[in-house]
Amino acid sequence: MMTALMIAIVVMGGSAGDVFVTKGMKEIGEISTVHPGKLAWIGLRVLRNVNFLIGIFFMACSFFAFLAVLSWADLSFVLPATSLSFVVTTIGAKFVLKEDISRLRLAGTVLVCLGVALISLP
Amino acid sequence: MKTATVLIVAIVSQAIGNVYLTKAMKTVTSVGADDLMTTILRAASNPTLWLGTALLIVFFALYSAALSWADLSFVLPATAFGYVLNVAAGHYFLNESVSPARWAGSAIIMLGVVLVSRSGVRTIPRVELL
Repeated sequence: MMTALMIAIVVMGGSAGDVFVTKGMKEIGEISTVHPGKLAWIGLRVLRNVNFLIGIFFMACSFFAFLAVLSWADLSFVLPATSLSFVVTTIGAKFVLKEDISRLRLAGTVLVCLGVALISLP
Repeated sequence: MKTATVLIVAIVSQAIGNVYLTKAMKTVTSVGADDLMTTILRAASNPTLWLGTALLIVFFALYSAALSWADLSFVLPATAFGYVLNVAAGHYFLNESVSPARWAGSAIIMLGVVLVSRSGVRTIPRVELL
């Protein structure tokens, strides 16, 4: 039960992190320069963006939950289970970020999720 | 094209970064059983570890940059190609044995990435840099 809860935190935290980081980066706007000075300026704005920082916080929570669950559960169980985050993040992208998930993209994402689960088995 | 270039550099940085991290951590812990503090200090003074960490920071910066214009539901599965590179890098540079299931998983991921990459980069309105 504790393992399921922690894996849920790993998956949900990672997905929430990705969604917030994307929200933040969309607020920054499309980066289309390679000028070092301008990039440094954009970098400073990114590091002060609230949504981006919330995203990093969720990612950190997810990572520490991952470390914690590994202290008692097998990596070969935890790692395939976390591949669920591909599907959860895609759901978040659809309903929070209003991205349009075509059948093609959904099919590709499900395949990636399966492949990652397969790779993570011992 | 821009998205492909940024994501490929990101994925390659991540794969090389992971190889360096693995190499570094194996030397850090193989010396002998010390207390936690000694291990942390030895890790912090390992240049390979810093190189690996720097490459992972490069990965995250490029990943975030791509998210400034591309869909998350595109970028996330597309970067899963990194898993395939990690398996290959582990096999060729770290001499890890790769099971048939792992090669099969890599092939399925590649197929998934091909499908996702054909679904377009962006489905939401473009946002200008403020």
